[in-house]
Amino acid sequence: MSRRRRFLLQVSALLLAACGPTRLRVPGVLSPAPRPGPEAPLQAGFGRADITPPPGVGLAGNGPEGAEARGYRVRLYARVLVLADGGGNRLALVVADLPLSSTLLHRRVAELTARTDGIGADRLVIAVTHTHAGPGHFFEAAGYNDEGSSILGFDPVMVDSLTARIARAVHAAVANLRPARVAWGSRAVWGETRIRSLPAMLRNIPPPTAPADAPIGLAQEYALVDPELAMLRVDQRDPTTGTFRPAGAFSIFAMHGTGNAPSNDLLDADIHGLVERRLERHIDRDLNRVSDSGFVPRAVYLFANGAEGDVSPAWPPQSRCDVARLAVLPALEGPFTRTLWEWRAPTATHLGACRHAARAAITVIGQSVGDGAVALFDALGASLTDRLELGRSFATLALRDSARALGICPEPALGISTLVGADDAHTRIQGWRLFGVFDVGLKQGSPNPDVPGCQAQKRQLLDAAFGGLLNHLFISGNLPSYAQVMVLRLGNRVIGAVPGEVTTTAGRRMREQMLAGARGAGLPASAALLLGHANGYLGYIATAEEYTAQYYEGGSTLYGPGEAAMFGRTLARLAGSISTGDSLPPNAAPPLDLVVGQQRHIVPRRSSGRVPPPRIERTWCSGDTLYAWLQLGAAGDWPVSTGDVAPGPRVEVVVNNSARNVASWDDDPTLELRLRSRRGGLAWWELRWSGGAAAGLQYRVRIPGGTEGDAVRC
Amino acid sequence: MGFRLPRLSLEGGAVLHYELDRVSPGELSETGAGDRHLGEEDFWGRAALVIGPTRLHAGVVRYVFRGDPAQGGVGSARNTTEIYAALSTTSRYVNPTLEAWWDVERVRGAFLRASVDLPILGWPFPPYAFVFVQGEMGLNVGQGPNAARPAELSNFAARGPTHAGLGMGTELRAWRLSGIGWTTVALGLRSQLNLDDATRIDGTGRKRDVNVWLWTGITVVLGGDARSRQ
Repeated sequence: MSRRRRFLLQVSALLLAACGPTRLRVPGVLSPAPRPGPEAPLQAGFGRADITPPPGVGLAGNGPEGAEARGYRVRLYARVLVLADGGGNRLALVVADLPLSSTLLHRRVAELTARTDGIGADRLVIAVTHTHAGPGHFFEAAGYNDEGSSILGFDPVMVDSLTARIARAVHAAVANLRPARVAWGSRAVWGETRIRSLPAMLRNIPPPTAPADAPIGLAQEYALVDPELAMLRVDQRDPTTGTFRPAGAFSIFAMHGTGNAPSNDLLDADIHGLVERRLERHIDRDLNRVSDSGFVPRAVYLFANGAEGDVSPAWPPQSRCDVARLAVLPALEGPFTRTLWEWRAPTATHLGACRHAARAAITVIGQSVGDGAVALFDALGASLTDRLELGRSFATLALRDSARALGICPEPALGISTLVGADDAHTRIQGWRLFGVFDVGLKQGSPNPDVPGCQAQKRQLLDAAFGGLLNHLFISGNLPSYAQVMVLRLGNRVIGAVPGEVTTTAGRRMREQMLAGARGAGLPASAALLLGHANGYLGYIATAEEYTAQYYEGGSTLYGPGEAAMFGRTLARLAGSISTGDSLPPNAAPPLDLVVGQQRHIVPRRSSGRVPPPRIERTWCSGDTLYAWLQLGAAGDWPVSTGDVAPGPRVEVVVNNSARNVASWDDDPTLELRLRSRRGGLAWWELRWSGGAAAGLQYRVRIPGGTEGDAVRC
Repeated sequence: MGFRLPRLSLEGGAVLHYELDRVSPGELSETGAGDRHLGEEDFWGRAALVIGPTRLHAGVVRYVFRGDPAQGGVGSARNTTEIYAALSTTSRYVNPTLEAWWDVERVRGAFLRASVDLPILGWPFPPYAFVFVQGEMGLNVGQGPNAARPAELSNFAARGPTHAGLGMGTELRAWRLSGIGWTTVALGLRSQLNLDDATRIDGTGRKRDVNVWLWTGITVVLGGDARSRQ
């Protein structure tokens, strides 16, 4: 080979490597053996971090249909509950307002918390609410970073920022440990959720039936959900008075975080954010009579997701916006110009109407589920105890390498129904026919009976022409390879933490298997719960029967029809090996080799070095909506730069009276902050408040500690 | 350049034809044998009316030829002006266009062209790629020789179909910068069945029934709607 050719080959190889996906090796740090101390038999501590990123990031959850975040509405938080027993055992539960959980994030946080607080990967659960209005770019698999939203790529700054913020919140919760009393309970919440892939669910054998307490007359898709809202109420001892006061709770409820329409372009905590705030405000104001509860409630409510794989909130159809459609670009049509195509978004009027309908649905559902949480929390006040046995078991599954032993397919594959999107968010290709005539399977429920082998029935991209070749070459390498599975014991409940979206029936089966496993090992378990979206993300987990229907959930069950049964067996095994007071062997959390996708600068970096004091440029009303333009902070600022919890809002709407009564602020569902520009390295925002201004009153926009805008009447 | 109202627009533009390679004597060329240079300038103006998915265009084109007739090129004696009207509509799967052209300077009669674009999905998510099939057919209705007036110029040899084309292409939205615009890179394969003696001409004394060629192009769109379009 000539020197010149060798040089060219080397340069080409370097370029290919530079353009290729980023690979990371992530260590697994387990907890050290706990040291028994003189503490109370049960202690609990809460923490919270603001994890709202700046605009510019992709909103993950709706895949490539997800918009770029232009601003924020209800802020995103990571809420933490740390439980500790007299034996020194600690368990940290984190529920973050994020779209998907991430093995990478879990491992990184555990690295920090193991060192500072003795909470390693085996004692840390990071679950997410699955809000589809949260940021991406921090996932463990290239496919989720590169196709998780319309903004492509993996950003280490997003990983580092979330890691630091969540680890600080865990540390704060450990510092907040106080003697505690707790109570477990549950309550059915009917009518606010529904099964979105009913034909797939009805394939299960035996067919699913509605619980006996389902309201009469409820439609089948509403009656077949798992309505259980399970809650652990936590009261802490007040260090000054010595009395126990309500402090917060941890809940599991199965519901997708898809209250917002897919075209939503604001960071938002969705329905879960409203439920969380509803109970937190109730604890502060109604139970603890805190008159100065401040911008952020003192109480902390972790509202986690359960087996929500096929469960949508009960949003109305008009809350889903039309998707972009293929159209020619008329502005470029000259007499000699070739036709150019574009994806044309729906009109602004249409988008405004469906987003408004979605916001109305979020308010109604959030209020109803929140009311259920409040009623349950209050009812549990009569059964508080200071006894809660803690235990855990933890395993990391190498899915590709151990596929045969696990009973799953050795290579993950994506079904074509995944590209079509679920009922919550059809993509633009749903129902597409080649030349308008030939059905190529771009729809829900389109299995391919000709597909042989482990992924039988799964219709894949162009499989009629290429079989599984395209998946092998371009897709499977971007999908996750590991699953971290955990079973917690919290008193007489065992909780399986699964890295994915488990369907209702698969979840029910897993709970039964887990309960049998725990009881078989002699644990006095009264119930098993399933915590989805925990410690990583593996897509959906549908039953083998649902898989054959190839709806969205089956098409997104990556490792084939045996996946749900595999998780059931794993959870049962782990439930039978729950331990306490020990440290786990290193093979419970081996190092992971992750392919995270194209590394890009997505989180804004550039900011002005000199940020002037905030100012309000103008304020006006249009109809019943108040608008303001303001300059607030630098272009790359996170709303809370440190990740701590802000003591107050960045901006408020106040009544124009001498008391300046606060009507709204930048964590209120009725107030939206959109970035208008990053001119000069500064952030120029537009504020919109449509919170029902009272007739006859004037309002001002105020930046606390800063300036006030002109008074306007809406 | 254009002036746009909600449904009506007035637009104009220019197209320059530049032959990139050196032309040998006898080759089909606008410039003629010799060095590469500009062969043709077309200046156009049009009005467009958009009613839902349907677009009605009417316009005028002035053709200016820069070739050297002494070297076998097309010279200024062939300069001419045409007017045209076109009707297009777009649905999810098909974009048909019917055009009618009249030479108002040199040749009598009309020329009709029907074309259709059929989008195949390509990759529907960022980075966007579009794949499409194109078909086209031309029909001469009076631009052929007139036996009663043999001195008149003609564009085609006979009344009837002039050509039929079939092609396939792909567009890749190669670069997009929010707030500024985007660039599209396109690549395609095109075939044409020549049905009239005038369309069969392939140089001095040579004829060809079928042409197949590859084409490519870059489109840069800045400002306006392009700042936010997908």
